[in-house]
Amino acid sequence: MNARSYGPHIVQYPKEYSLCAGCTSCEIACSLTHDGVVGPRYNRIFLVRGTSSMIHEVAACMHCSDHPCYEACPEQGQAMTLDANNMVRIAEEFCTGCGRCMKACVFEPARINLVKSKVASKRSAKKCDLCAWRAEGPACIQYCPVRCIGLSSNPVPEYSPAVAQAPDGGQ
Amino acid sequence: MEKPATVTAPQTATTAPEILAKVKVERLENSLRYGYVGTILRINLSDFSVSTVATASYVPKYIGGRALANRIFYDEVGPEVGALTPENKIIFMTGPTTATGIPTGGRSVFTGIAANNYPEQYAWSGIGGWFGAEVKFAGYDGFILEGAAPEPAYIFIDDDKVSFFSAAGLWGRLVHDTQATLEAMHGREIKSIVIGPAGENLMRNASITTSNDNVAAKSGFGAVFGAKNLKAISVRGSGVVVPADIKRLFELRLQMCSPAMRPNPVVHEFVHGMDGNQIAVLGGWYRGQVACSHGCNQHCCRLMMDMPSAFSDSETVNQVEKCVGIFAYGFAEDCAWLPIMSWETEQNTLPPCKMLSGEPPAPDLSDPHLPALFAKVPGDIVNYWKPDFHKGSVMMHLCNEYGIDKWDVIVWYFTWLSMAKKEGLLEDMDFGMEVDVENEVFVRYFLDMICYRRGKWGQLFGEGMARATRELGYEKYSRSIYHGRYSQAVPGLQLDLPVSLETAWGMSYHWAGRGYEGSNNKPTWLAVTLMQMTSTRDTQTVAHFHGDYNDLLAIGDDPCHSRILVDDVIMNENKAELKDSVSTCEWQSPDLYWTSMEAEMFTCATGIEITEEELEEAAVRSKLLMRAITMRNHARTRQLEVDSIYPSIIYPDCHGETVTEVEFNDLVDLYYEARGWDQATGWPTRETWERYGLADVAHDMQELGMLP
Repeated sequence: MNARSYGPHIVQYPKEYSLCAGCTSCEIACSLTHDGVVGPRYNRIFLVRGTSSMIHEVAACMHCSDHPCYEACPEQGQAMTLDANNMVRIAEEFCTGCGRCMKACVFEPARINLVKSKVASKRSAKKCDLCAWRAEGPACIQYCPVRCIGLSSNPVPEYSPAVAQAPDGGQ
Repeated sequence: MEKPATVTAPQTATTAPEILAKVKVERLENSLRYGYVGTILRINLSDFSVSTVATASYVPKYIGGRALANRIFYDEVGPEVGALTPENKIIFMTGPTTATGIPTGGRSVFTGIAANNYPEQYAWSGIGGWFGAEVKFAGYDGFILEGAAPEPAYIFIDDDKVSFFSAAGLWGRLVHDTQATLEAMHGREIKSIVIGPAGENLMRNASITTSNDNVAAKSGFGAVFGAKNLKAISVRGSGVVVPADIKRLFELRLQMCSPAMRPNPVVHEFVHGMDGNQIAVLGGWYRGQVACSHGCNQHCCRLMMDMPSAFSDSETVNQVEKCVGIFAYGFAEDCAWLPIMSWETEQNTLPPCKMLSGEPPAPDLSDPHLPALFAKVPGDIVNYWKPDFHKGSVMMHLCNEYGIDKWDVIVWYFTWLSMAKKEGLLEDMDFGMEVDVENEVFVRYFLDMICYRRGKWGQLFGEGMARATRELGYEKYSRSIYHGRYSQAVPGLQLDLPVSLETAWGMSYHWAGRGYEGSNNKPTWLAVTLMQMTSTRDTQTVAHFHGDYNDLLAIGDDPCHSRILVDDVIMNENKAELKDSVSTCEWQSPDLYWTSMEAEMFTCATGIEITEEELEEAAVRSKLLMRAITMRNHARTRQLEVDSIYPSIIYPDCHGETVTEVEFNDLVDLYYEARGWDQATGWPTRETWERYGLADVAHDMQELGMLP
């Protein structure tokens, strides 16, 4: 059993509550909000696509309490920092895009994205910060048209018919 | 008698593909900055060469998508080019909103000489999925496919590297197996478009499939891929698309078609189908809703989960059902119609995305037209086949895996088999198995036969129904009357219907007042007929007719002399050009009460200020380019198009009505006049070409003797 503990993170609800429509709105809202662009290297949340099954999984940073990504960062304390809630933050202006944090991520697929570029100043890792600076909360949740993702501290939320039947879908 | 064919099961083995050629692309500097990514790829399959074209040389005048493709095709492909020849070009184009996150912008379009149209003509086919967005992430607004590969091949576009691989290990594979194999070889993050065995065997109804069972189904471009020895195109991009106005973009995400923003649970259903085609499903079935394309804010596609597989009794499949798929399961009764599906009021609209997702808005009871808007007109009783859940699922699955346009299979092939048999037309034909559309074994047998072009009948019907019925004898095998059609709008009224549901250009009925989805009213089916007349294909997949209900009242009982109806037709046609160009989709546009929506999407994506009127001019320009291609390449005239479409409406609608040829020609007169086209020839005047910035086309038409 995995003893790792996690901070609050984006979770995908069971399909009995809401099926991911595969629209990629979460990825788009994420990269637009943070970087003003849409591109597969810029989103900090990932749609793991079922091309033919049409069952899609949403993968996001679990905000591990032991933060192996932070431990792997050669610019620890500058490019990667810990905030007051023990959440790892990337200071992109100091990040060299070496990719060690992504490799250290214990999840598959890795929950950290990486912008690669021939221009060193453009290389950078991208990691979920739960849009902590947004009053509305995470943009991916706000713009998910089917409300299939939410914020939780549990790795996999239990399906609750009572929540599912709530007028606001438990949001 | 031929032995019944066995269905080929999916394979999974992969071997490293042989690389045939690899090209490094020098992408062009993107002067456009927002929305567009600046480069169009030109890919020649004959010699595996690649070059580039600057998007900026075409836009914003030609918007993007279909409008841009129309211009390229007009410039580059002359008459006498057949669909299945190397000289045919397939143009794939995204729109400026594609991959920006503006809802519906994920849709893209193919154009070229279509294999499934009769006669072969320039046409288009839209597609959803993530492929178009990924093409832009790789740095391209679209690509032009030329030539034909010397051996089965596929293309892998990996940012600025374009590789041509041998498709020896893919050729013969089913659609989903091909997709999975490509992902196994090149990585899960790639996005692909593929053909199945139908396209390889040049079956004219063959489609091109991408993720989530999204297909370019119309026009038979799967067969064009097959003729080019092209099995698939995969793409992986690491670049970005930059929309101009992010604040407005997020507003559009919440504004366009007012997304429900509520959970989308998988539902356990126990009944399938509508009206007279309903069937109780033992043990039930599971329904979800999924989006069709990158960045959409709706979920129109019905996902049927854990459905019976065509290949295994122990395995199940997920498959997407849109409107026509419902009728694979049972087709005893045609589709009913509500006036609000075509005629709306500001208080009460019912966008198709809301119908398809099962999230209709609550009706505004203060609307005095409410009862009329929801006055249901039941579909005709047609008795093509009884509801059969398992057989329907198998039919759907085979179409998905073979890569065949479901529309033609459900609406045309099998209705013809049903009607022709009942009318005794098939008695001297030995298919190798008794024709029985109620029998799942026959459904498998027939689809396998036409996909793999097995034997005499596989060769014949693989050419599509329009060509097959002409080869058999058009009058007998197409125009013979089916006597099993009964109106429910006028109960007990028996109505004539031809055994082959053909309209014009090798297409079948679609919202045309008779045949499939035929219970709409006369102004609506006249509008639909007029739209198809000037096109080269069924226009309803991108131009379901919409008008204001007050217009319907003003049109009254004389639609053939109504300029209001003509203006509504032109509005719908122009919006259809925009849907495939900006791009947006059939299920969110047009919004009759937010007419600037497409212009706002365009400006939001590109930063280029454009008014609704200016964008409408660009839409007309696109329509005119289509007209120019059909005139120059396909000798289109008024007489040709009226003679092609009118015979399809001589059969009565569900009320027993039709219009005379004189009346229909009066409507055509009004339409040409409103378009600025000569009434005698159907050709645009010099003034019309020049008004829309196409003086060069006017010059060409003068040279051709086609300038009235």
